[in-house]
Amino acid sequence: MLTISQPDAAEARCNTTFEALMWAMARPGQVRDMGEPGLAPVVEALIDRECVVHTDSARLAQFIANTGATPGTIEMADHLFHETLDIEALASVRCGTALYPDDGATVVLQAAHGTGTRLRLTGPGIDGVCDITLAIPPAFWSLRAALCAYPEGFDLLLVDARAVIGIPRSTHVEVL
Amino acid sequence: MAYVATRGGERAIEQAERLFREELGTIDMARVAAIRQSMPYLIDRVMGEASLFDEDMAALALAQTGGELSEAVLVLRAWRTTQPRLAVAAPLLQEDLLTQRRISAAFKDIPGGQILGPTLDYSHRVLATDVLEGKPFAPPAVEPAAKPAPAHQPSLADWQRQQGLVAPAQDSHVAPDDIPDLTREPILFPASRAHRLQSLARAETGGVLALGYAAMRGYGNAHPTVNELRLAEAEVVVRHPSGTPFSAGRVRVCQAEVTSKEKGGYLELGFAASFGWNEVKVIAAATLDLNSAEAPVGSPVHEEFYLYHTESVEASGFCIHFKLPHYVTFQSVLDAMRDAKAKAAATPVEAEQMEPAE
Amino acid sequence: MSLASLTKPWAATSYGFLDASAKRELRRKMLKAIAVPGCQMPYASREVPMARGWGTGGLQVTLTLVNPASTIKVIDQGADDGVNAASIRRFISRVSGAGETWDTLEASIIQSRHRVPEETMREDQILVLQVPNPEPLRGVEPNMSIARQMHADADYGRLWLTLYEQLVRKGRIMQGAAYPSLVNGRHVMTPSPIPRWDVPKLNMAKHLTFLSAGREKRLHAVPPYTKVEPLVFSDRPYRVEDHQDLVCRRSGIAGYFMNEIPQDDGSSSFEVSDSNLGIKAIRRAEGETVDIGQTWYRGGEFSA
Repeated sequence: MLTISQPDAAEARCNTTFEALMWAMARPGQVRDMGEPGLAPVVEALIDRECVVHTDSARLAQFIANTGATPGTIEMADHLFHETLDIEALASVRCGTALYPDDGATVVLQAAHGTGTRLRLTGPGIDGVCDITLAIPPAFWSLRAALCAYPEGFDLLLVDARAVIGIPRSTHVEVL
Repeated sequence: MAYVATRGGERAIEQAERLFREELGTIDMARVAAIRQSMPYLIDRVMGEASLFDEDMAALALAQTGGELSEAVLVLRAWRTTQPRLAVAAPLLQEDLLTQRRISAAFKDIPGGQILGPTLDYSHRVLATDVLEGKPFAPPAVEPAAKPAPAHQPSLADWQRQQGLVAPAQDSHVAPDDIPDLTREPILFPASRAHRLQSLARAETGGVLALGYAAMRGYGNAHPTVNELRLAEAEVVVRHPSGTPFSAGRVRVCQAEVTSKEKGGYLELGFAASFGWNEVKVIAAATLDLNSAEAPVGSPVHEEFYLYHTESVEASGFCIHFKLPHYVTFQSVLDAMRDAKAKAAATPVEAEQMEPAE
Repeated sequence: MSLASLTKPWAATSYGFLDASAKRELRRKMLKAIAVPGCQMPYASREVPMARGWGTGGLQVTLTLVNPASTIKVIDQGADDGVNAASIRRFISRVSGAGETWDTLEASIIQSRHRVPEETMREDQILVLQVPNPEPLRGVEPNMSIARQMHADADYGRLWLTLYEQLVRKGRIMQGAAYPSLVNGRHVMTPSPIPRWDVPKLNMAKHLTFLSAGREKRLHAVPPYTKVEPLVFSDRPYRVEDHQDLVCRRSGIAGYFMNEIPQDDGSSSFEVSDSNLGIKAIRRAEGETVDIGQTWYRGGEFSA
């Protein structure tokens, strides 16, 4: 009565990508492998016509448009895909409300792992503390601390080639 | 392995399903076609609750569930939900509907006329027992009117707006493609009007009737007058990728507009529509819509109350889930109860109202 | 461009039953659920070929996660062969090609109704709990909009009051299963109707837990290493069911959550609720080499 289809290539890719994103978010600071490099696999796994998306990348913009998502400003977007970090612009990112914390945006940012500012992470998903190094200046973490009045806030996915690190709003970030 | 052998749940459920299906026998195209042909109003009810307009699939769902309505709706919904949304159909205007029945209780006659169409409203509800004695019931032929009724009928509310009886229609700020879709996002309260009307359109007919009737009897604040009831066929107009609108087919629809009293110098209107011809459902649903505005939180005519409790798949599913074993939760309750009794020692304790196990 | 370019070849169902857009919505909401532990995230909740209230919320999460390399364990009341558990496991396997198991140690995803297995779950495992009522405040506030506002305000006074009244009237807290618990110090959640015995297993756990209510269209999560604290008064410690000394009549093991089986003579005997733990103990007793994992409770005492 039911015919089963095997996963096609897109289904398999999205499943792998999401598994990496999920564990990245569940274990902040730990590096996960998405299987494919860049921000595009994250778009493919998460974005469709129900989303409002902002990106700073012209190349990615077309890829996002093909998903049917509505392009929007940083203030409007529920998902942001940025290849470069513009701290000032991110000050207007959506942080949701205490009533609907899920309205806080998911910010997917290209950022090198293992170089730059040393950070100490604590909070849910972390067994004690987790120290990492990210090519993101301290000013960004100050902005994040100012915006994320838990449970309001935004959630970060930091992509370096195939690797992804998640830093949800529940994580306390200390610049070392 | 005695432990495993004494359980055997997997075999039991397989055989139980076989028993159900064996009693229904083979389902073939002929059975589906016979159901579709002989039960159009049942098909309409199921299509309305499933929010899927496909008469063959509705007939198939009835055939394979033996007419267990909540099961039939569930299989259709479960199939529907996996289908991609290819396009958003153009909004419909009442005057564009191919109208087959359209009546108003508000005026003796209305512009365009009262068109009775097919109805049992004025019939004597006599069971045709002769059929069981071998005498087929052949309905007498319809005598065509000298002048056929026009296929399109104006909207009564439009006339009322011209008369200043009903508030002027306001342009929606929502683009047709952006109308919220209940099946793609959860309903949150206060609900958007689109969500409320969509939820009523697919609501369980009996549930809507029960709560709508409660509103009519006095648990609401409005006694409805049927302003307009319409059974019609609607063109599903979608946009071709080249930009040209075209009709992808026709669906049967029904709609009711009910009114009650004046508010702010105008008559208030309650509205409901559904796939299929489901008159009782849309009158009851429009009554609930009409009552919503001033309903106290927690009353049966408050939207959170009636929308949650008339969701057919959720209500029937939760009701039958109580057949599932609950012995873990029950054990947990027993443990607390025994301990409390032991504590109370000599003095007997009155049975305490306990949280229901889930 | 033609209409054909918008469509794809007809297929009866997608891989894993749910279509791509349903999965994407669930993925987005699952990430948010992890980011705000214990906070109920609304989602559309598609119909699935199972009745609402029968695990459709858990099923949607599992179907989003599953791939052909997954190994699925499904339990109901602790048992793998409970009728509904068997039905759900068969369905998941049928639409995904994933492997099936009864063994907690072998599973990558465990979907459960009313129990957390007794063997300690690992960092690479996911527990998906089926949730009938996601709202811990329902008993004190049936209106969902008001309850949501109470969560926003962290206004749990009425819940505390209910527990306090039970203490005063009965000398103890009478809450059975589904014990309300504070997650990450901010949101009170229902851990689903698991017994009190199982709630400590979610606190600072190694595994990831999703709790999904299909009928009520809400999902929440408890990430690994997250605080889950049952609501108790400081001078009245949390009490699990008094099962530490009960012995399973079939497997002989003791110190786990038990099912009570009434006897004709008016007494009761007991069977271990985690049925596969019982099976493994029987097999081991019969001389088979069986891998039994470390358990959360040892000698009837919880050891984190």
